[in-house]
Amino acid sequence: MSNQKNPIGDKDGREKSKTSAHLIEGGIDAIVIGAGAEGLAAAAYLGKAGLHTVLVGAGPEIGGRIAAREIASGVDGVDGEHLVTVLDPEVIAELDLYRHGLEFAARRLDTTYFFESGNVLRFDGDLAQAALLSLDNDDDCEALEAFMGEVLEMSAFLRPAFRPFAFPAAGDQQRKLEKALSGAAPEMAARLRQYLLSSADEILRNRFGDGPLRALLLAETAFRSAAAPGEPFSFLSLLRRYAGEAAGLQGAAAYPKGGAVSVIAALRRAAQAAKVDVRAATPVKSILIEGDKVGGVTLADGGQLRAPIVVAAIDADQAYLKMIGAGLLDIGLQRALTARKPEISSARMQIVLKGVAQDDATRRNMMRRLVYAPSPEALTKAFIEARAGRVPERLIVEAVFPTALDEGAALDKRQLISVMAHPLPFDAEPDAARREAIRTAILDSIEMFAAGFSGRIEADDLRLAADEAAAAKANPAAYAAKPDVLRQWALSSAVTGSGGIGGFYFCGPEAQIGAGLSCASGRAAARAALRAYRKGAA
Amino acid sequence: MIFPAEDFFADAPRPTPLYAAVASASEANLWTSVNGWTTARIYSSVSGEYETAKSAAALADLGALARYAVRGREAAAFLGRLTTAPAVSLQVGESARGLMLDDQGHVIDLAEVSRLSEDLFLLTLPTPHARHIALGARGLDVAAEDISGQVAALGVFGPQTAGVLAAAGLKSASETLAASGILRGVETAARPIQFGAMPGVELIFPKEEALTIWERIMRRGAGAPIGLDALEILRLEAGGPRPGLDFTPAGKPGASPRTPEELGLAHLAPLDRGWFNGRRALRALAGKPRRRLISLSIDDEQSMAGAAVLQDGKPVGRITSCAWSPARKRIIAFADIDAASHGNNYEISVAGPAEGRVPAKLFETAESALARVFAGVQGNSTDFRR
Repeated sequence: MSNQKNPIGDKDGREKSKTSAHLIEGGIDAIVIGAGAEGLAAAAYLGKAGLHTVLVGAGPEIGGRIAAREIASGVDGVDGEHLVTVLDPEVIAELDLYRHGLEFAARRLDTTYFFESGNVLRFDGDLAQAALLSLDNDDDCEALEAFMGEVLEMSAFLRPAFRPFAFPAAGDQQRKLEKALSGAAPEMAARLRQYLLSSADEILRNRFGDGPLRALLLAETAFRSAAAPGEPFSFLSLLRRYAGEAAGLQGAAAYPKGGAVSVIAALRRAAQAAKVDVRAATPVKSILIEGDKVGGVTLADGGQLRAPIVVAAIDADQAYLKMIGAGLLDIGLQRALTARKPEISSARMQIVLKGVAQDDATRRNMMRRLVYAPSPEALTKAFIEARAGRVPERLIVEAVFPTALDEGAALDKRQLISVMAHPLPFDAEPDAARREAIRTAILDSIEMFAAGFSGRIEADDLRLAADEAAAAKANPAAYAAKPDVLRQWALSSAVTGSGGIGGFYFCGPEAQIGAGLSCASGRAAARAALRAYRKGAA
Repeated sequence: MIFPAEDFFADAPRPTPLYAAVASASEANLWTSVNGWTTARIYSSVSGEYETAKSAAALADLGALARYAVRGREAAAFLGRLTTAPAVSLQVGESARGLMLDDQGHVIDLAEVSRLSEDLFLLTLPTPHARHIALGARGLDVAAEDISGQVAALGVFGPQTAGVLAAAGLKSASETLAASGILRGVETAARPIQFGAMPGVELIFPKEEALTIWERIMRRGAGAPIGLDALEILRLEAGGPRPGLDFTPAGKPGASPRTPEELGLAHLAPLDRGWFNGRRALRALAGKPRRRLISLSIDDEQSMAGAAVLQDGKPVGRITSCAWSPARKRIIAFADIDAASHGNNYEISVAGPAEGRVPAKLFETAESALARVFAGVQGNSTDFRR
């Protein structure tokens, strides 16, 4: 992936990556700003519908924060995401991503959970089967089976609500939700009402007491969310996590062949097949607003691209405050953007280990998703610490071994382990001391379930929200952990409302509910644009 | 210039900078609180004050209104965003009225903008909106300083305004152009205002000089102070809705928000003007009013705020404010009615001993005349005359 060249020259052989200064280019139907996954998906949809679409990315690489990079000599790692959990199956189907090269090296990954007490639990990748595994206690088994059934049913029901654009107007969330609930069976509606308002801790304590199942589910709930599991509405985070689909399996985790970059590659091929004109290294300076409609974009080199549709797949600060400008925004939208004060973020760490697994148990575990679930008390404490700007002692750690999952990535006498850790304090400009503290905390948490692990480290590479933002030339706050689902709904509906500007659509990170590589907001933005375009054309 | 509704429940209102002067002029000693500032309701008699304004020149303490000095390179852009007033196209010395709208296109407040120099504006609002202003200024090179309370503000209006100001040695204060400068060693600003339909001048000067200027004008003998009750009659005659009384500003608890059109103020927020906050939402709402605020003249002699307005025997709205108009010899009122009602055959349901219904007719005010002309220009004329 890293050796992929940027597109220079279209079929006429004309150089397209640079637009000459002060040139006004017309004849374009739609411009997509931002060459990340959402931007590629949006552009592919628009191009597929027959619109002459130009995709402009600021950096030299396509893919945004998800990119391949050499993290140690001879070892390529993938930045951004290491697993695919919420990739929208409709995007896969509609853009024909399998035909464009998307392949899963491992789908429906089993998960092994490690606990502070030294207990270990294994879950089937099919969550409906989770209870059948590795639980000694029959009562726990039954409780988990009943609970998983309920949760999966509710998540499936709520899936449309977790899509961006689900709530078009600010303030409508409550009404929409009530309307959705009125469509549910009375029993489920009552349960949903109760669950929507409750904290995850409350619900899980009632169901599972103090056992490891509570710690496990709390860790899944809190993972990559800025809402601590004791806070109201936090249970929604778990529902949203299990509402996601990878490869058509609800709540499943999958490892794409070649890592998350291969999703980007497939999207890019889909965009190219849809005749999207992809231009990297073409930074946009401003979005032109004429009257109450979008007119196109001005490029940093002074050139201008004119089009009646502009889709912004970049962070909201850049799109709204920098490219459109505060002076043309409604004050409420500006406030929603500037009022955000992210406190929590996750960190990625890729570690090259010396040697190979000696025993079968370890080898089997390397083919799974490994999660270290701190005790509920430790987790609560971790959130308090992280909010106060300190690095917590214990972290939730999700680890996978790309070298074991993907034959193509196998290394000689070495292993690559990719780790995502949460919760950590959000830092827009972390210094070296902070990085070292985070590195130590992550390694300590891994030591809790893999003693002696640190001694085998050959090289490691830590990547924080600020690093991802720098790579994608974005505002770091956009890559911090997302707040509770209710607040995300509010922010998402504010940003996807486009500030009322006709022809302007937004599918940046703020539009998405929850974390992960999804493409759902790119799809939603493109579909909204197409609806308006056809209406205007008719 | 319109005062907001009184805040009856404010404890211990603060004295305005002109308080010492107006208190000594008050014979009735009847006070109320506006925005937490002490404001005179009546000085001597309502009818006497009303007559002074109509025939000579009246002085009003405007210290209760919110004032901001807006400075900076992007001051005009900021005010053009915050209010619907065309701040960007104002020349130095010019003033304009406008509205403050929220993101949904609903009216938060009325506004007046005067350009004192290239990058200095005076923003006057019926009620303070510090937070909204601070939010609106983010990202722009502008500083909005709240000067209410630091300056005394004296409104002079009526047919003899020019004479009174000239006699007091304030020749440069004009009824058409705003200006700032030093008058006899005192730093002042003067800007044209309208009270009711009457033109006048608002003098703004440091509060330390409040008594000096007040005395200078009063000693020439031609002016007399006017209180809130007499101003209320002038306001109803001119047809200006009063925030908090005729409509609840958007964002206030319990507000059922109103668009400019619903308040009869569409001419203050024309959609073809440059960008202002809420314009895009307003475009979607234009031409679809749910309520209407109308001026009624009622064949009765008693005050009846809150009374039901009927049409064909059915209730269609209520009286929001009213007063006896000496000029019309009738009760005049604002009524908030269902936009679906039309024609001119309204009745007011009267409670009390003389229970029954009295007829009410629409009448054209200075404001509704502007709205009619504007609607005519927009090709959507509504005839308020009979």
